[in-house]
Amino acid sequence: MIKLEHVTKYFRTPHGKKYLLRDVSFTIPEGVNVGILGRNGAGKSTLMRMLGRIEFPNRGRIISNNSFSWPLALSGGFQGDMTGRANVKFVCRIYGKNRDEMYKILEFVKSFSELGDYFDMPIKTYSSGMKSRLSFGLSLAFDFDYLLIDETLSVGDKRFRKKSKDALFKKIESCSVLLVSHDMGTLREICNVGIVLDNAKLYYYDNIEDAIKIYNNINS
Amino acid sequence: MRLRSSWEIQKAVVYALFLREVKVRFSAGKIGYIWVFLEPLLQILIFVTIKILLFGKRSNFDYAVFITVGFIAYNLFRHIVNNSMSAFKSNKALFAYKQVKPIDTLIARLLVEIMITGVISFIFIGVGFYFNYDMHPENLGMVLLAILWLILFAFGFGLMVSVIGFFFTSFIKVVKLAMMPLMFTSAIFYTLSDLPPSASKLLSINPLVHFMELIHASYFHSLTDEFVNYTYILLWTTISLYIGLLLYVKLSKAIVSQ
Repeated sequence: MIKLEHVTKYFRTPHGKKYLLRDVSFTIPEGVNVGILGRNGAGKSTLMRMLGRIEFPNRGRIISNNSFSWPLALSGGFQGDMTGRANVKFVCRIYGKNRDEMYKILEFVKSFSELGDYFDMPIKTYSSGMKSRLSFGLSLAFDFDYLLIDETLSVGDKRFRKKSKDALFKKIESCSVLLVSHDMGTLREICNVGIVLDNAKLYYYDNIEDAIKIYNNINS
Repeated sequence: MRLRSSWEIQKAVVYALFLREVKVRFSAGKIGYIWVFLEPLLQILIFVTIKILLFGKRSNFDYAVFITVGFIAYNLFRHIVNNSMSAFKSNKALFAYKQVKPIDTLIARLLVEIMITGVISFIFIGVGFYFNYDMHPENLGMVLLAILWLILFAFGFGLMVSVIGFFFTSFIKVVKLAMMPLMFTSAIFYTLSDLPPSASKLLSINPLVHFMELIHASYFHSLTDEFVNYTYILLWTTISLYIGLLLYVKLSKAIVSQ
């Protein structure tokens, strides 16, 4: 369960405060997969980062007893001058994995991400697709209550996208997903409920179809 | 997942960051290894030469040892502060993991510097003994205590300037520029007792002078800590740590999110 209490989030810009959320309170029940919709700049990624505890509300608070993954976003999460392997090792270490577990995770991520020799190259030589593959593979190797996925499912070639989706289906048997995507097909397949972000307000729908309908209305 | 205590998490994070720092600094093809030894060696050679040329060899303690001790301590301070200031920026990507707090990157870099200084000290002292220099400190415990105090001061000061520098980048440049004159005004290669009273009074404003005088006095029988104002460096240490921690507590979230 995730509970938002009077959450306000804004950024200061030269033209004053830009509100992404204004006094938002609501609860996401246990055991549902949530699709998050909204126009570019509506604050979807910021919401994900707040859930991942690397961004913080200006007012109000987010309460949850659950564990969250780091936000799997297209940008960030990896240190450019470290190799893929070094980054995976780093994440294993900060999550307190022992040597054997780390070895298994390294093997798994290497084979899942299909990076080949690039696994031992600095991340800054990676394309954004390669980064997402590494990031997604790495997140699959850990156990969380909630996976935070920000667009990363929509990169890579068709075959890899299918592989990712299959892996995700298997993963969500044991955890829930909060998914930001502009691909309605993916949202329908994975999510049961939906959140639409618009004008610093947050609308929650028990049915993903309703959320998609509202989102399409906003966009048209 | 098993719940870990904050202490366990922070230990794991600092260890992971420490390994990463060591790897980045000393990976193959980098001159990191060489520079670590070359820098103090050059400093020592240059200043010993200057001293001998200007004042001859007369001295009631071993001047080469005196300078070596001074530079090792001064470099430790300078490196801790300089590396702190770039720590937030160069580890920014890793703040995507909520376990990684900005201060952990400073602690990791601090540990790397302490390790490097330890290794260098051992080697320089070993080489000194080999060439029959009198490397025996008068009071080893006091030397180590003084260095430990210096490390604490460097950490507090480094924390303070890192947090400020993260939001005002030009501030970092100012601090780095200030490090150069600091080398000449920190009593590294001379003692305050060599100087006229007016000059020693002026230099006493610099807290590093007191640390150097204390370290030198603890190392050499013939030197005393008459110029060391313990209250003064205690004030510098606590105020730096206080301001540093205060700013950090207020602004660490902004550092993570930016």
